[in-house]
Amino acid sequence: MRKLFTVIILIVAISTPFFAFDVLPVIGDPDSAPNSHVSDHYIEHAVEECNSPNMVTAVIVDYRAFDTMFETTVMFLAGVSVVLLLAGRPKRRLISPSAVKKRGRTVRGKAVYETVNKDVMISLIEPLILIYAVYVLFHGEVSLGGGFQAGALIGMTYLLDVMVGKRQRPIFNLSKFRSAALAGVGPFIYALTGLISVFAGGMYLEYNRLPLPVHQAELHSIGITAVEIGVTIGVAGTIITIINALMERISFDDDND
Amino acid sequence: MILEAVLLLGLIGITLAIIFGTDLMVAVVIYCAFSFLTMFLYIVMGAPDVAFTEAVIGVISTVIFIILLRSIDRKIK
Repeated sequence: MRKLFTVIILIVAISTPFFAFDVLPVIGDPDSAPNSHVSDHYIEHAVEECNSPNMVTAVIVDYRAFDTMFETTVMFLAGVSVVLLLAGRPKRRLISPSAVKKRGRTVRGKAVYETVNKDVMISLIEPLILIYAVYVLFHGEVSLGGGFQAGALIGMTYLLDVMVGKRQRPIFNLSKFRSAALAGVGPFIYALTGLISVFAGGMYLEYNRLPLPVHQAELHSIGITAVEIGVTIGVAGTIITIINALMERISFDDDND
Repeated sequence: MILEAVLLLGLIGITLAIIFGTDLMVAVVIYCAFSFLTMFLYIVMGAPDVAFTEAVIGVISTVIFIILLRSIDRKIK
């Protein structure tokens, strides 16, 4: 019964895009909306309309903010599904203990965290990456980067931290469920930013209507930054969730040796 | 133009090396090179934002693959 249900959901999910193909414009059609006027409008008006010198950021989180919101949600769902798949103790080992011994893993090399200079990693490299992540986040409108990159950098810091420290005592103490909740907070902040402008009388995610006492042009910057913070938290939470689930599964495997 | 052609040929070669290799660790390391070349390709095509994302995600995915290799057999029979 459950399998039948899964198959029905899969068929619906896979066949829906094929029906949607008819609605989409033909690739390379010169009369389609992106090729005739939309791209030109973005290129000519992005800076004055969104107050953001980086046009990529303007398109992603301002013109197409609704699209990006569901992208962030999809990422949150990916993290949750990894937790659901990998949670708990595995029923069957992927590799037998004798095969581990034959591979000579214990003899051939040290564990990763014993081969790295912890002081340099924890006191020098990780703070530098975190500072760079914050710079990329708040400077994303002007130069390269934005929420996705900043979140990935924060996730990378956690990955380095897990690799360097002993697995029993990581520096950020985040359980996998807590980090999955963190991944959900990101899309929530994003959606809340949209709702604020609805309550102020505008449309969803219309940054012009944010109820703040600043100049009209500043509102777009503030809206973009708020949304980017949400994206950052979502991406960082998703990466941390995936790493946590994987490391927990691997430590189960090691315990059985 | 020539630069793009060289990068694309390099990508094809790397993909073949990944497919026909027998050592998973080697495949993971070559995959890292794949993401590095892709990054250069994005820069040549004029999309530095995407190149930045590719650089960061390439590092994270490579490290995750190496962590995972502890749990499975490294050689393909």
